[in-house]
Amino acid sequence: MIALVGYTAILVALAAALGMAVQGARSFLQAESDPRRMLRWPVWGLLAGAALAMGALEVALLTDDFSIEYVARNHSRDTPLIFTIASAWAALEGSIVLWGLVLAGFAIAVFWSIGDRDRMGAAALAVIGIVALFFFGLMASAANPFATLDFVPLDGNGANPLLQNHILMAIHPPMLYLGYIGMTVPFAFAIAALATGDGSAAWLERTRRWSLLAWTFLTLGIVLGGWWSYEVLGWGGYWAWDPVENASLLPWLTATAFVHSSIVQRRRGMLQAWNIALVIATFALTILGTFLTRSGVVASVHSFTQSAVGPALLGFLVVVLVGSFGLFALRAHLVSSPPRLDSLASREGVFLLNNLLLAVFAFVVLTGTIYPMILEAFSGDRVSVGAPWFDRAAIPLSLTLLLAMGLGPLTPYRFAAPDLMWRRLRGPLQAASIVAAATVLLGVRPITVVITIWLATFVISGITGLAHRRARSGEGGYLAGLGGIFRKNPGFWGGMVAHVGVSLMAVAIAFSGSFNVRQTITLDPGESAPFDGYTLTYEGPTLRQEPNRRVIGAEFTLWRGTSRLGTLEPRLNQYSNQVQAIPTPSVRWGLREDVYLSLVRIEPGTARVTIDAFRFPLMWLLWAGALILVGGGAWSFVGGRRRRALDRPMVTARV
Amino acid sequence: MRRYRMFLIPAGGLLLILIGFLVFNIQDDLVYYKVPGEVVGNASIDATDRFRLGGQVVPGSITGGDGAVEFRVTDGVETVSVVHVGAPQQLFQEGIGVVVEGTWDGSVFNSDSMIIKHDEQYRTEDGGVYTPEQRYPGE
Repeated sequence: MIALVGYTAILVALAAALGMAVQGARSFLQAESDPRRMLRWPVWGLLAGAALAMGALEVALLTDDFSIEYVARNHSRDTPLIFTIASAWAALEGSIVLWGLVLAGFAIAVFWSIGDRDRMGAAALAVIGIVALFFFGLMASAANPFATLDFVPLDGNGANPLLQNHILMAIHPPMLYLGYIGMTVPFAFAIAALATGDGSAAWLERTRRWSLLAWTFLTLGIVLGGWWSYEVLGWGGYWAWDPVENASLLPWLTATAFVHSSIVQRRRGMLQAWNIALVIATFALTILGTFLTRSGVVASVHSFTQSAVGPALLGFLVVVLVGSFGLFALRAHLVSSPPRLDSLASREGVFLLNNLLLAVFAFVVLTGTIYPMILEAFSGDRVSVGAPWFDRAAIPLSLTLLLAMGLGPLTPYRFAAPDLMWRRLRGPLQAASIVAAATVLLGVRPITVVITIWLATFVISGITGLAHRRARSGEGGYLAGLGGIFRKNPGFWGGMVAHVGVSLMAVAIAFSGSFNVRQTITLDPGESAPFDGYTLTYEGPTLRQEPNRRVIGAEFTLWRGTSRLGTLEPRLNQYSNQVQAIPTPSVRWGLREDVYLSLVRIEPGTARVTIDAFRFPLMWLLWAGALILVGGGAWSFVGGRRRRALDRPMVTARV
Repeated sequence: MRRYRMFLIPAGGLLLILIGFLVFNIQDDLVYYKVPGEVVGNASIDATDRFRLGGQVVPGSITGGDGAVEFRVTDGVETVSVVHVGAPQQLFQEGIGVVVEGTWDGSVFNSDSMIIKHDEQYRTEDGGVYTPEQRYPGE
C-alpha cells in the first residue's frame, strides 16, 4: 500500500518535471507570456510528488513495512529511531529521493523569484525541469526505492553499520548534496542566459546567493567528510586523494573559481563567457562526482552499492556536457563581454591568476582521478594514483593561491601603481617575515612549512590591517566601526573571513603533513611503551554490550613524564548485521598535537594488543579554520540577503 | 568568433602540454592492482615490482599470528600464498576480502601493508552478500 503511494508520488513528480520542461520552454519561446501562471502547477506538482515520496519512505521505515526491499535492506525492528529516520536517505535509492526533494524545494524558490514576461526565469525553470526529469526517471526505473519483495521477511537487515556507528553519516552526505544540488540553479540560469542571449550580468545577480549557498554547503560537506574519516573511521588522516574525496573537491574548485570570477563580471563587466563555462563545468562535475561515487567504477576505500544507476548517470553526464557546451559554442559570442582589462597589475589581474590556478588545480585532480578509469578501459590494468602525485601539484598550486589571496584584497581595480602597492603591502610583508623568521628560530625547518607560515601571515595581516583601518575611520567607536564594515559589505567581508579560515587551514595542513608521526606498537596487558615523548600504558582489553552493538576495546593510559594525561580507548564496534567490525580510533585533543590511537588487533587468549599510534600536530587549527571558512561563506550569504534591496548597482557587460 | 579562435589555439596547446606532463609524470606514482589469476604464471612481473594483490582469504589457510601471518588469497581461479609482515588487523579473518601490497617472487607474495575491504554491503561469514531472504525467511 505504502509502496503504491510512494511510487505514484514519484510518477506524479516525473509528470510534473516533464510539465516544467515543456511549459518552461513554451513560456520562453513566447515573448508575451506569464511563466508564473504557466509553471505554477508543474512546480507545485514536483514539490508535492517529491515530498509525498519522501514521506511515504519514512512511513514505510517507521511502520516496519518489510515488503519494500529498501526497508528490508536498511532497517530492522530493533533499529533505534534516529537511525530509522536517517535510513531514508542513507542508502542509494533513498538518497536520490532526498535529492529530488531538495531540487523540488529549490525549484519553488526559483519560481517565487520570477516575474511576468521573465523569459530567462522560464528557461531556467525548464532546465531545472529537465534535471528533475532525469532524477525522478531514475527513481521510477533503475533506483526505485519502493520496489517490493515477492515475500515478506520477518525482519530486515538493519541500518547501515557505518550510519549506526556515528550520526555524522546521516549529516555529511546531505550537506554535500545541498551543495551539489544548489549548483543546479546557477547552471540553469547560465543556460538560460545563453538561450536568451542576454549579455548582461542579470543571471549572475539572480544566482549570486544560490552560488554562495551551494558553495557553503559543499565546503561544509567536504570538511565534515574529512573530520569523519579522521575522527570516526580511523583511516589515520583526513584526506587521502581518494577518488571519492576528489569527486567532492572537483566541483568545489570550479565553484570557488566561479564565486571569485563572478565578482569581476559584476564589478567590471568582464569574463561573461568564462563564468558561464565555469558554472557548466561545476554542474557537470557534480554529476561526475555522483557517478564516481555511485557506479563503483573507481577502486576506492569507499565502496558504495553498485547498481544500474551508474550507466544512467554517465549517460546524463554526456547529455549535460554535449548539450551545454554545444549551446555554449553556438551562442557564447552573443553573451561574451569585450576585453577591458586595463592592466594585469590590478585586482582583475589577481582574480585572473586565482581563476587560472583553480582551473589548473581542478584539471590536475580530474586527470589523476579519471586516469585509472581510462587506463583500465584501454589496457585492462587496474591502477590507483598515489597521493604523492597529487601532493606534488597541489602544494605549489595552493601556495601560489595563498599568495594571490594575500595580494588580491589590497590591490585596487583597473591599475595598481607600484608606490601604492608598496605602501599597502609593506605592513603585511613585514609581519609575515617576522613570524616566519620566528618560526625558523623555534626550530621549524621544512621549507614548505615556513613558506606556508609566511604566506598565511601575509594574508591574515593584510586582512586585519584593512579591517583595522576601516574600523577606525568608521562611525562610532572602534568595535561599532568593525561591526559596521561587516554589515555594510557582507559579500566582501564574508570573503575575507573565509580567506582567514583558508590560511589557518593551510598552516594546519602543512604542519600535520610534515610532522605527523606513526608508530605500530605491540603490548601485553600492564606493559608500557614510549611513543614520541609520551608513554602509553596498556591497561587491558575491554568488552561491553551496547544497545545496538558489541564494543571490543583496549584501554590505554597516556603519560607525559610522570603526569597522567588521560585514558584512550581505541575500539572495534561490531554490529549484528555485519561480520566486519568497524574500527573507531581514540583521539586525545591537544593544543600542540593530537595523540591518535587506532586498534589493529587484540590477540584472543593472551589479550596482547597491537595499535597504530599517530601524532598529528595542530589539528584543532584545521577544524577551527574550516569553521571560519564555512562561517565566512555563510555570512556573505546571510548578510547579503538582508541587504539585497539596497546595494548591488547592476553592471552590465555592454555599457 | 575570430577572437575566440585566437584564444582557443594557444589555450588548447597549453592544455595539451599540461596533460602530457601530468600523464608522463604519473607513471612513478601508479600502484597496480592485480588478482591472483593475473599473477600466477605471469613471467613479466619483476621480483622488485610493488603492486597490490586483492582477493579473498582462503578458509583454513591462516597460520602464524602476532608479528607475521601466512595465508592464501584467491580470486576463485588461482590462489596465491601471502606472507604478511606485521600484525594483521582485527578484522582479518577467513573468507574476508583483503588487499595486500608488496612484491611477488614467483611463488610467494611478500606483503607489508594490508587493507581489509570495507563496503556498504553486508557480508555473511563466507563473504557472500546478505539478502533479507537468507537472514529472515518469510512466513
